[in-house]
Amino acid sequence: MSKPTVGIFGLTGCAGDQLVILNCEDQLLELVSVIDIRDFLMASSGNDEVCPLDVAIVEGAVVSNKDREKLCAIRKRAKLLVALGTCAVWGGVAAMDRGLDRQKLLEEVYGEAGLSYDSVPTQALHEVVKVDLNITGCPIEKDQFLAAIGNLLNGNPPIYPDYPVCTECRMLENNCLLIERGELCCGPVTAAGCKARCPNLRVACVGCRGPVSDANQSSLLAAFEEKGFDRNAIAARLRTFAPNGGAQ
Amino acid sequence: MKKVVIEHLARVEGHGGITVELDGKKVGKVHFDVFEGARLLESLVRGKRYDEISPILSRICSICSVAHSLTSLKASENAFGVKVSPQTELLRELLYQGENIQSHALHLFLLAVPDYLDLPSAIALAASKPDAVLLGLRLKKLGNTIQETIGGRAVHPVNAVPGGFGTVPTVDQLIDLRKALIEAVKDCDTVIDLMASLPPAEFCHCDTAYAALRSPNADNYYAGDEVVVASNGDRSSISGAEYKKLANEQSVLHSHAKHSSFGGKPFMVGSLARLTVNPQRLTGKLAAATERLQLKLPATNPMDNNKAQAVELVGDIERALEIIEQLLHDGLKDERPLKIQVRAGTGTAITEAPRGLLIHSYTYDAEGRITAADVITPTALNAANMELHFRRVVEQCAEREDKVIVKRLEMTARAYDPCISCSVHLVRKQQRQ
Repeated sequence: MSKPTVGIFGLTGCAGDQLVILNCEDQLLELVSVIDIRDFLMASSGNDEVCPLDVAIVEGAVVSNKDREKLCAIRKRAKLLVALGTCAVWGGVAAMDRGLDRQKLLEEVYGEAGLSYDSVPTQALHEVVKVDLNITGCPIEKDQFLAAIGNLLNGNPPIYPDYPVCTECRMLENNCLLIERGELCCGPVTAAGCKARCPNLRVACVGCRGPVSDANQSSLLAAFEEKGFDRNAIAARLRTFAPNGGAQ
Repeated sequence: MKKVVIEHLARVEGHGGITVELDGKKVGKVHFDVFEGARLLESLVRGKRYDEISPILSRICSICSVAHSLTSLKASENAFGVKVSPQTELLRELLYQGENIQSHALHLFLLAVPDYLDLPSAIALAASKPDAVLLGLRLKKLGNTIQETIGGRAVHPVNAVPGGFGTVPTVDQLIDLRKALIEAVKDCDTVIDLMASLPPAEFCHCDTAYAALRSPNADNYYAGDEVVVASNGDRSSISGAEYKKLANEQSVLHSHAKHSSFGGKPFMVGSLARLTVNPQRLTGKLAAATERLQLKLPATNPMDNNKAQAVELVGDIERALEIIEQLLHDGLKDERPLKIQVRAGTGTAITEAPRGLLIHSYTYDAEGRITAADVITPTALNAANMELHFRRVVEQCAEREDKVIVKRLEMTARAYDPCISCSVHLVRKQQRQ
């Protein structure tokens, strides 16, 4: 069987998800022996920028027309498109307050010159093109990425946990940061898969993996309010990594 | 008149390019084009509570996420007059060393070395020199293991919080790290041998000003508040609060990019600058490595930054071991983060990220909500000097075929180890026509 052709791309973001791929130090050489990476600008200067691809893996969000054009071109080349990381899946930190006047923000950060920049309100990939698989996380978890590649090679759809960070945290028998310490922990509404990295270290979850599908936001809101947080602070916290806390 | 355009700079973090105009032997415009999208994070953090800032601003960049995260924490702590414990200082410095080891190993072995051997990537390098790639991956993993153990995650650390750490590592974890570091000491000679075996890369020579934090003691990147600019034998000193002197953005006519200069001259930050400003570090193994690599300071060849990174790798591994020995000697205390008393005010922090000086400066209101955030990154500080070196490089090979010009420009750009996601946080994005 010939190896599937793969492209790994970055739109606007921090390149952290591509870095996680390069951080698979123990698997990297095996990985490149089972897939044929044709286009990976961050790691190679010998890329084929037009060939058709079996799988395109795309990190980052769309924040400019240039990003949008690039994404559409990638979509045309690829049989399957994978959104890699919270920015690609949800919009990420750049999307937290996307309702704000963008021209005003551009002027604040970049001065008058900013007004002429190619800049659009931040969008996740699925808002622009069809996405076949989401691997969330800021950054993604190494094991979930490798499992996805393994599954795709075997023709199986990867399955990710559809329960909140809270469940993972409870299984680790941690004391609850929200109930017992009154902290603004987003674990109850955030997609699991990180093995509760933050609460396991006694640090409140910031929601970096985006919302879990059946998040009960109103119940969490009530719990936060009971602990004395005001609605604005709660709303701001919940939309840090996904606009509207993921509510579409 | 012709144009040499590198549309997409490969094997760097982020999206950038280079455009050079040539009229025969005469070099016209030289642009380092930054077309990374604007995320406007400095504006978006406004109104956020102090404990939300570092997780958001660490997302400026993944490869230097520890540096962003810790510089952010330090700026907030400075604003509130918080002084963390000596144990926290040591653990933070260890986290820094972890990031530096990961970043330098990634840059040298996966991004820069393939150039010297005319190869497109580390994957191609693995076919001809598998040992070099495996060595790089081993050291990268070591850096990541330190970051995971101390920071809770290799990219975007979660465990460093205002006032300390969520959870202090255990003695057993530190002993495991020590074991891994002792193993890595054996690799250090191989790193230097490999770097010394590469064909020479000399595309231009010119006097350069170097800016770095002056280490108050040993190799500590994280401490210190005094930036020294070394230029032609002169040393000027700037305190953290005066950081704008260093980042006095100049609008330049040829592009939208605003460039940094000190006393009207561009300067270079990063490994080479750190070693130039802190020659006292170059003793023992570091002195031997410097000599073996024939690295003469102050250097006139920007490619020497790769050699300086290799020397630092040796130093970082040595220093990480020292820190662990000290932590074990002092006895690890199960400290909780300090309680933060918020107050209105401004705090600035300057540290050394893997690529050079990184500055975060924040203003808070009395409720501990941020009202202004200023972030100045190493690649933005380097941008003006990169263009200067690109110009010198092209002047030396203007009549050669484009292929040669492109290759030399790319290698020079990579030697700076640019981080373009970071750079947009100062450099005004230049639109491609």
